[in-house]
Amino acid sequence: MNELSINRPRRRIVSKTIVRFFLLLWSAVVLYPVIWTFLTSLKDNQMVMLGKPWDLPSALRFENYSNVWNRAHFGDYFFNSLIVTVGSIALSMALAATTAYILARFRFKGRGLLYFAYIASMMIPTTLGLIPLFFLLSDLQLDNTLTGLVLVYSVGTIGILPFAIFFLIGFYQSLPKELEEAATIDGCTDYGIFFRIMLPLSKPGLITVGIMNTLTVWNEYIMATVLTNNPEKYTVPVGIAIMQAEMQYRTEWGPLFAGLAISMLPVILMYMIYQRQITGGLTAGALKG
Amino acid sequence: MAAMTKKLRPASSWRRKLFMASFLLPTFVLFSVFTIYPLLRGLYLSFFDWSGGSETMSFIGMDNYKELFTDPIIPTAIANDYFLIFWKVILILLFAVFFAVALTRLKLKEYGFYRVVFFLPNIISVVVIGVLWSFIYNPSLGFLNAFLSLFTDTPVTTNWLGSAGSAIWSLLPPSVWAGIGFYMLLIIASILAIPSSLYEAASIDGAGEWKQFTTITMPLIWEQFKTSVIHITITTLNGSFIIVKLMTEGGPDNQTQVLGYYLYQMGFKQFHMSYGATIGVLILILSLLTTLILQRILHRETIEM
Repeated sequence: MNELSINRPRRRIVSKTIVRFFLLLWSAVVLYPVIWTFLTSLKDNQMVMLGKPWDLPSALRFENYSNVWNRAHFGDYFFNSLIVTVGSIALSMALAATTAYILARFRFKGRGLLYFAYIASMMIPTTLGLIPLFFLLSDLQLDNTLTGLVLVYSVGTIGILPFAIFFLIGFYQSLPKELEEAATIDGCTDYGIFFRIMLPLSKPGLITVGIMNTLTVWNEYIMATVLTNNPEKYTVPVGIAIMQAEMQYRTEWGPLFAGLAISMLPVILMYMIYQRQITGGLTAGALKG
Repeated sequence: MAAMTKKLRPASSWRRKLFMASFLLPTFVLFSVFTIYPLLRGLYLSFFDWSGGSETMSFIGMDNYKELFTDPIIPTAIANDYFLIFWKVILILLFAVFFAVALTRLKLKEYGFYRVVFFLPNIISVVVIGVLWSFIYNPSLGFLNAFLSLFTDTPVTTNWLGSAGSAIWSLLPPSVWAGIGFYMLLIIASILAIPSSLYEAASIDGAGEWKQFTTITMPLIWEQFKTSVIHITITTLNGSFIIVKLMTEGGPDNQTQVLGYYLYQMGFKQFHMSYGATIGVLILILSLLTTLILQRILHRETIEM
């Protein structure tokens, strides 16, 4: 036996242990602030003011949640966020699925150009659209409305439409073309083929895109803060930023962290359920790009 | 694309054409109004002097662009943007590649756990991240000073976000913390696409892990690596100002000013809308130029597998 073959496995175990140490350390760095947010959301103000952030809450102050939900209007913000998210996803998916289907399965003049326009628009900085979109919405009298936000999110420079089109084109191209031929012979119309065959078949793709864009819209802040200045139309991220700004005058740490928790809970829940679609969809899209 | 086109169905009858139009037009009309038109209007605005109010807009040609060159805040903002890009690219990709290689090559049992945990910050809103990290940096209550005070006799009261020297550096940890998971997943996907026979052959030849990393992994994930560098650059130029807005508001004394936040301030705080739009055009030009340059610098001959 030579030296190498004896040393190899041992060195491998040592290096595995070192790597594990770093992986565990990073897991702590990622998880601790998140767990800590939930813990701090249950502390009373005095406890936070002690300056011992790692102490566990002495008593669980669940009223921080009811406080922020009712008195700080996070209940309203939550429903605004919900309406805007559902609206944006429904609209962008309907628009993306139809366009992606035609771009993926039909030949026509201008097809390449149209495809290019959608894909190239992903390169445009969102910030460039900030000022013009603000005035566009005022012109359309949609400023300070949830409808305005829905339109900006689904088809504006924020980019969830091109992403959905790009992703779904790949999905429709992967479906066998015999499906349509068989359906045509059976007397199915073009609409029938789409709604009865292609749309149901693309459900996994629609779910992946829908979830990824839900995260984007639910978390979006900059457009929402520029396009709404009426507290009745605030979304959760806008509400958090306003609350943080007000902390200069009156400190309510517990409720602020309860606000952060309210923003995080739905996405963490969604991530736990759809973890596979989120990470899988991302890597599938990346491989094509 | 060309091979694909042959298999596609032609638009033969008028009925078919009507069907296609009904599927394409609604999307394209809305996309034109909310994406293409704002872009053109942004460009158009940059040639005018306009506060955003109802009073007249006056055409001033290139004056807004000339102002960009004389405005002392613009160079600071550009420098800060590229400072963030530089360190984010290095730190995020260092961690992301290390984790991706560790998770794929060592075949750990807990692979799934790390994958799920490391991506977690990417699903959290940047607003939450900004508020959370502002509290971590809080001089009297925050986690960082409380932690450092464990090792000193007197409590540490460094004002991380408020001092000129440390403010811009303090913006890096939250950005890196939030960015790693996404790029790690992209790199994992491209490592998994490498045939394992290559690694087997290399280890029979006596190549160690490091040698395998430099001769097999890195060259074969290069395309994904390049895409990631460009993606970090664009998203930083475009989105870093949200963390700036939430954590420092560009301060102290414009020390952490970035282009995006300067645009926001000009437009929505100082009502100098047309100048704000001009900064938007500058951001677009910089992202296109930087992408082009990075494409050049990072170009390698693609390796056929």
